[in-house]
Amino acid sequence: MKLYKKEGNIIQILSFPSETTEKGDYLLIEDTDAQKALIVQVIDTQFASIPGILEELLRSLPDGGQPIQGEDLDPLEIAPHITYIQDASLLICKIRATIENNSLNPSTSWLPSRSQSTVRKLSIPALTKLAKTDGKLPIQLGATKDASLLTIDASSLDGRLNIITGKKETGKSHLSKLLMLNLITYKATVVVFDLNGEYQSLGYTSDGKRNAYHDKIHVLTPSQNFKAALKQLNLHVLLEILTHALHLPGTSAREFRRIWRSLKERDMLNLHELGEAIRNWHCNQHVRDALFSRYHALVNSGFFTDSISEATLLEESLLKAKQQGGAIIINLRNTSPIDRQIVVEYLLAKLVGLLTSDRLKAIFLFAEEAHLYLRETYWDDIVTRMRHFGIFTTFVTNQPDTIRENIYRQADNIFLFNFTNEHDLEVVSRAARVDAETVKSIARDLPPHHCLTLGKVVRDFPMVIKVKALDVKTMGETRLFFKDVN
Amino acid sequence: MVIQQHTITTTQKYNFPHPTIDTTLPQRLIQLSLQTLTHTPSISMQLNQQPCNIESHSLQLKPQPILLKPKHTPTIVAAVDTSNIKIGETATGILIAIRGANIWKQNHIYRYIRLGPFIFHTTEENKKQLYTTLQKAYLNTTHMQTTPTLQQMPNRIANLLEKWLQTMLTKTINNGLILFDGSLTSGTPDTPTLHMRETLQTARKHNNTILAFSKMTNLRFNGHLITDIYPKHTPPYLIEAIGLKPKPPITLCGDIYVARLTKSNCAFRLDIDKELSPQQKTEAVEKLLGNDIITQSYPETLRLAHILCTFTANEVIAMQHYIQRKHRLRLINRPDMHKLLFGPFGKGETNQ
Repeated sequence: MKLYKKEGNIIQILSFPSETTEKGDYLLIEDTDAQKALIVQVIDTQFASIPGILEELLRSLPDGGQPIQGEDLDPLEIAPHITYIQDASLLICKIRATIENNSLNPSTSWLPSRSQSTVRKLSIPALTKLAKTDGKLPIQLGATKDASLLTIDASSLDGRLNIITGKKETGKSHLSKLLMLNLITYKATVVVFDLNGEYQSLGYTSDGKRNAYHDKIHVLTPSQNFKAALKQLNLHVLLEILTHALHLPGTSAREFRRIWRSLKERDMLNLHELGEAIRNWHCNQHVRDALFSRYHALVNSGFFTDSISEATLLEESLLKAKQQGGAIIINLRNTSPIDRQIVVEYLLAKLVGLLTSDRLKAIFLFAEEAHLYLRETYWDDIVTRMRHFGIFTTFVTNQPDTIRENIYRQADNIFLFNFTNEHDLEVVSRAARVDAETVKSIARDLPPHHCLTLGKVVRDFPMVIKVKALDVKTMGETRLFFKDVN
Repeated sequence: MVIQQHTITTTQKYNFPHPTIDTTLPQRLIQLSLQTLTHTPSISMQLNQQPCNIESHSLQLKPQPILLKPKHTPTIVAAVDTSNIKIGETATGILIAIRGANIWKQNHIYRYIRLGPFIFHTTEENKKQLYTTLQKAYLNTTHMQTTPTLQQMPNRIANLLEKWLQTMLTKTINNGLILFDGSLTSGTPDTPTLHMRETLQTARKHNNTILAFSKMTNLRFNGHLITDIYPKHTPPYLIEAIGLKPKPPITLCGDIYVARLTKSNCAFRLDIDKELSPQQKTEAVEKLLGNDIITQSYPETLRLAHILCTFTANEVIAMQHYIQRKHRLRLINRPDMHKLLFGPFGKGETNQ
């Protein structure tokens, strides 16, 4: 390999057929005289612009598109040299760092010697050793292309905003499960908004036996084992639900506040009394109708109860998880969109309450397809305000445009699976911790279960990994009509 | 040191019967190529330039063109061309590469055999020996009127290969048309009359007709190049040129025609074996029209021969790579003094 050109932070390297280098590989450009080296990453491979190549191709097809049959008698065996030159490729590389005095430096302000520099492949283990990506709490993400294991530090997810994205069936949920299970191994508290019910069986191995995580997985299904007692509910939480999930107008919300206070003063906060109070409240008929319709929505959700004993499991599970680590799986599979929003509003408010009162340390929140249950105003809340309370979110989505641009800008880690759609790649490339060229070039060619890892977990050295397999019962498989036929 | 011997079996690949073929020349080419490269630590050249030793003021064009009708009698059309290129300079000489191609059309299919590239390191010291050895291998003579200059060597060596390829075709094809690039003028340092006559004779013996197309000509009629004259006739036709008197030792072994074979503006000087009857000559061109694709008055077979042997830039780089890797020869990048002195106004030494 030979250093050819540098433009901005892009380096072009001439590579010959005997040197197998692919997108995502790291190269080390060493300049011994300068006692420095550049770490660059291949983000694209192109044919080298060899003079005369067009003529070469044209003359091989001069007979109406059919190659002329013939024989080359090449006694000096120059043909392999011709092929060698013709197949030379140009590696488009992005400068990632400089090594100087055995330490990494993000500076790219120097230029290595074109004639004297040597270019060689930098193995991922050597790079991770330099970058110190593994720490005291290692999480094995998977294998890199050169079959070495990529290990990240769980603490690099702590206090961070993460995004897992890619088109469907590429392995996003699998990675999310892997991260989640590793976090609970280190006694972290994890809450998962499980939209498709695919996290429920994480406590079982693929053959249905209990695994090491079994006692740490707490599945809460709204309206079944997960309910909210009206008496324990704060007025502002219920008002949030009424205004944001059930779109109660402001005037009606004011009347509801009065009704609620009146019932609370009389210690009569239960579903029946709430209904009666709305019915008998002296107010405009339209307001009453509005309140009644929301009241029935709350009652019909089945999520609210008068019995305090029915509404203790969430807190119990969270406190248990605080002690020994665990995951609270909120199973939203059979929940209607409105009920989903009610549950999420309630849960987030509850979590903030527990965190502000220091009853919980911090939690890792995994939100699958959050746009289906998270109201608009919550996005900023989650990544800014709630982060300070100790809610560290990982968004998992196959529709990257459903996550707002400012979320991408603040994302600390992005786990990017394959995308072929230009628009999707464009959206993801807005993330602050990555350059658009890397995202667009590498993500497009990622095979299934391969992920481009970007951000703090890899110390800003984008790495492609094949996500490690998990011996857990998977529930996220698509139910197929022709399954038996195939 | 042992010189590797390569066995060349080119003629066995032809689809038509052939006699025992003399392979001395290619063997000598390989031998000498390796020898010149071992014994020492761009521009394409156009072969077959027309010699100027022809008095063209006496040249006349027959007023009545020979009108042609394509004859579709199945006939093999074969062509020969070679190419040479200077691929670099060393401290003591120049590195040149030559390659030749034979192409033939049979049953509507084009096939080819390409020979080379052969790379030679020619120096002032070895050029005489190199050329003499090759000349002996092909012409069976060491007689040389003048020693070629170093700059003439690429042309001369390529010419020897071309002559050998032409001879091979005349010996291996029967009842065919053989297209040469250039003319049938002999008596020049690289085309002895005796050998040109032998080639034509061999071709006749095998019932072949040689048609030599010149892309460039200096012959003029009434001050105009003969290929620039447009009689009021619809192509295809031939116009015979008569009255041409070459100065000795230049000999014209063919009759000269202006061939306008398609309705384009292009016309070429065409030399056809003198010994053939006018009817045979006309019939040969008509068979060419009926058996080959003619574009811009030029036969496709000859065009392909040229294309196949021409060196492309990446091949030159590959040959430089071969020389440096395999023979450890160091190429010198001499500064172009024109560019150096005159900057953007210097056209370069090769384009003066």
